[in-house]
Amino acid sequence: MNGMFKFRVSNAKLLRDMVAAISILVDEATFNVTPEGLGLRAMDPSRVAMVDFEWPKTVFEDFICTEPTKMCINLGELLKLIRRTVKDEDIELSMDEKTGKLQVKITGKYVRSFTMPLLEASEEEVPTPKIPFNVRAKAATDGLQGAIEEAGLVSDHVRIEADSEKLVLQAAGDIMGATITFQKGSTVLLDLEVKEPSKATFSLNYLSEIMKAASATSDIVTLEFSTDMPIRLDFHQAIGGKLAYYLAPRIESA
Amino acid sequence: MRVIADLHIHGRYSRATSQSMCLEEIARFAKIKGLNIVGTGDFTHPKWLEEIRESLVQDPETGLYKIAQNQALPVYFMITTEVNTVFSSGRNVKRIHHVILTPSIETATQINERLTNYGDLSSDGRPTLNMSPSELVEEVMEVSSDNMVFPAHAWTPWFSIFGAFSGFDNVNDCYQDMTKYIYALETGLSSDPPMNWRLSQLDKFTLISNSDSHSFWPWRMGREANVFELKKPSYMEIVDSIRNKDKERFRFTVETDPAYGKYHWTGHRNCNVSLPPKEAIKLGNVCPVCRKKLTKGVEQRVEELADRPEGYKPCNTINYMHLLPLSEIISTVIGADPSSQQTWSIYNKLVEKFGDEYSVLIEIPKEALGQTADEKIAEAIVRVREDKIKVIPGYDGVYGRPIIFEENQVKKAQGKREKSKQLNLSDFL
Repeated sequence: MNGMFKFRVSNAKLLRDMVAAISILVDEATFNVTPEGLGLRAMDPSRVAMVDFEWPKTVFEDFICTEPTKMCINLGELLKLIRRTVKDEDIELSMDEKTGKLQVKITGKYVRSFTMPLLEASEEEVPTPKIPFNVRAKAATDGLQGAIEEAGLVSDHVRIEADSEKLVLQAAGDIMGATITFQKGSTVLLDLEVKEPSKATFSLNYLSEIMKAASATSDIVTLEFSTDMPIRLDFHQAIGGKLAYYLAPRIESA
Repeated sequence: MRVIADLHIHGRYSRATSQSMCLEEIARFAKIKGLNIVGTGDFTHPKWLEEIRESLVQDPETGLYKIAQNQALPVYFMITTEVNTVFSSGRNVKRIHHVILTPSIETATQINERLTNYGDLSSDGRPTLNMSPSELVEEVMEVSSDNMVFPAHAWTPWFSIFGAFSGFDNVNDCYQDMTKYIYALETGLSSDPPMNWRLSQLDKFTLISNSDSHSFWPWRMGREANVFELKKPSYMEIVDSIRNKDKERFRFTVETDPAYGKYHWTGHRNCNVSLPPKEAIKLGNVCPVCRKKLTKGVEQRVEELADRPEGYKPCNTINYMHLLPLSEIISTVIGADPSSQQTWSIYNKLVEKFGDEYSVLIEIPKEALGQTADEKIAEAIVRVREDKIKVIPGYDGVYGRPIIFEENQVKKAQGKREKSKQLNLSDFL
């Protein structure tokens, strides 16, 4: 039996956007609920991408957890319940000890309560990839998201490369191509640290979904990558905590 | 005498079939191909059955049928059809294709009288019937114990007994108490006997091969077939040798390389993604480009159901021979389409000289071939005959691509999908 937990967020939009950002990779998500906060690390079914999420208890208005436990829920179903919530509403999630179900209580101009099943939790502990990153680039999420969408106009994958002066997105389709350049210190590329010039290719389907969903939670993203290694996209959370993604590369042969 | 039979084709009332697919044209091209017996296909369709009645006449010596207006043509017809049974099994809807062989137009008519209760036979050359496979077999066998039913293209992802999307894991689960009447299994283009030998549950069945062709062109009809050695061709000789897995009479099957089939590997046609089983499993059978479920290929499905290692050969099996259609070989060598004038010109020269396509493919020595066609084409034919070619595997409806000569063409042909291979995070943990 799970331990008891109850937590409340005063800005429902925060939770809604975070659930949406995680759900792009995971349908059934197993969260670790501990006295310190809420966390999740999971890979999508193809194991091409990973989401690494943490919200310390300071993010919540109220946070009660009697003992570390796991909370496995269908994020699509939860999203349906909270999709209509707005900024000035608050959401409380708690486990009903009698039924073993999750209670979702949304309080705004009126109060609505939903129940949904808690699923069997995954016992898999997912480690993060250990990668020596040679490039670290800090960018404005809206600018980078726009560039990713533009690359998607010509191809289904994009090569990201960096040297000490610039970050370049290169997309090559069957008949069209695109090159998007960000100079260090521009309004989009806020910072760039390069140990050695690097390049790697990634699926635009994954990248654009990640950028689109995660940009609702953050204005700044830090990209870290090395040649032909997974990329890490860390979306800065102003309220504290962590939302990061890892995406495996596509390897191009000559 | 040697008898080559393709028992599963379709007539012009089947979907995606040319209007000129009439019995006379089928017979004409069957002779060019070297087929001695060809299935009529589609006897369940009222208009096609009418054409069968009008165009064919039963040969009193063999019980098989010949073109009435050209009885000298050495091509016999067997009365055959394919049907699609649709039924609920637990929470799933199963759609399975079956081939039916029957000795005469009269028995075919009786079968139709029964099957018309389960669906509209005039809707398609391959009608959809609301009945279970066991009900189908029961109805067919009640008409005549000489009839034969076997699962069609047993491994294709859709509409087959072992199909990844709506198939079963076991022949018994499909035909239940009527399994006792199932003697054969059609392997389909994307699998060959060695793949099927990996399932001990299939040991008791005779593996047969047919083209399932929707056209009479020689790169379709007869691309897979069954080769018998019979005193004289007859319906019962064929059926009996299949039922008894009689190696004296049923000599071998003609198979394309299974990689040539349209569903050999797992993949997504629109995403240019093609994956061998291990890589597909590693990606959770999710397309790395569009992130939707991949179309599971036959090799992966066999891997799931196999209880024997690769290379296992049970005793008492019918032999097989890998071949490719001659038009496909020529077109691969000269870099033209199989239907191009250039390909036809070389094809016609060889067939006119040596009698029919199978003779060219199987028997004629390289030297003789080289005197009629280019040396490179002669060499290509022999390489196919000796199973010394490579095929870039087909996937999700895309045919495999034969590579007959240079190894480096293999890499070239793998093209875009090889050029950009998706890794997964497990490689970095």
